[in-house]
Amino acid sequence: MGMLFCFLGAISFGLLGSALKAAERRKANAAGLVISAYAWPALIMLVRTLLLKSGDHVPTSVYVIAVVFGICTAVASLAFQVSISIGKVTVGWLMMNLSAGVPVVVSIWMYHEKLTTLKVVAFGLVLVSIFFLSWGQVIEKRAIASTSAKGE
Amino acid sequence: MWFLLMLVILLTNGMSAFGLKMIAGWGLPETVKYPYLTVWYAGGLAAIALPMLLKGMRVGKTELFWGGVAGALSIGGQIAMAVALSSGVPGHVVFPIAIGGSIFVVALAGRLVFGERMNPPTALGVALGFIAVVLLGVS
Repeated sequence: MGMLFCFLGAISFGLLGSALKAAERRKANAAGLVISAYAWPALIMLVRTLLLKSGDHVPTSVYVIAVVFGICTAVASLAFQVSISIGKVTVGWLMMNLSAGVPVVVSIWMYHEKLTTLKVVAFGLVLVSIFFLSWGQVIEKRAIASTSAKGE
Repeated sequence: MWFLLMLVILLTNGMSAFGLKMIAGWGLPETVKYPYLTVWYAGGLAAIALPMLLKGMRVGKTELFWGGVAGALSIGGQIAMAVALSSGVPGHVVFPIAIGGSIFVVALAGRLVFGERMNPPTALGVALGFIAVVLLGVS
C-alpha cells in the first residue's frame, strides 16, 4: 500500500511539471501563474494555522527565515516557468530536482554532516550532468541560429 | 539567459526547503511548521505579486486555473509521500521513487505530449542527472 502511494506521489509531481508546461503553451503569464500557485496553499496553510490554537510562541527568527526561503522558492518557480518557454521542460524539471544537492552541501558545511561515498558520487554526477545539459543547450542554440541563417 | 535561469533555479530552489531543517535544529515544537509555511508561501507570493501589481499587471483566468491545477497536484504529491512514509516505507525508498519518478513522467510528457526532442548530450545529461537525483534521495 505504501509503495502504491510512492508511485502516486511520482505521478502527481510529474503531472505538476507537465501542467506548468501546458500552462506555458497556453501563454499563461509566468508571474501570474506563480502568484496563483502560491495563493492557494498560502490560504490553506493560513486556515490550518488559525485552526491549530496551539498557543506555542513562535520566535521572530522563524518568520524571518520563512520570508527569506519563501522568496527563494518563488524566484525558483518563476525562473523555472520562464526557462521552459526557452528550453526543455525535462531539463528545467531535472534542474529543480538536482538542486537538492545544494542543501546537502550546506548541511555538510553548517551542521558538519558526514560526507559519504554515495554523496560524493551523487555530487560528481550532478556536475557531469550539468556539463552535458549545458553542452546540449549550446548545440541546440547553434542549430537554431544556423537554421534561421539559412532561411534568410 | 538559459544558463542564468538554470543557475538561479539550482541555487534558489535548492535552498527553499532548508528553513524547515533549520527550525528542526532549533528544537521548536512540531506545530511551528504551520505558521512557518503560511509565512513561507505568503513571502513568496508577495515577492512576485508586488512588482507585478506595481507594473499594473493582473492575474487572468488562465493563470488562476493552471495555478490551481499546479497547487492541487503539489498538495496531492505531498500527501501521497506523507501517506507512504506513515505506512512504514523508509524515506530512502520514498524520495528516490517520488522524485525520480516525477522526472520520468515529465520526460515522457515532454516527448509524447509537447514533442520535445533531445540531442545526444542533453539526453546523456538527463540520464546522469536522473541517477544523481535518485542517489541524492537515497543518501
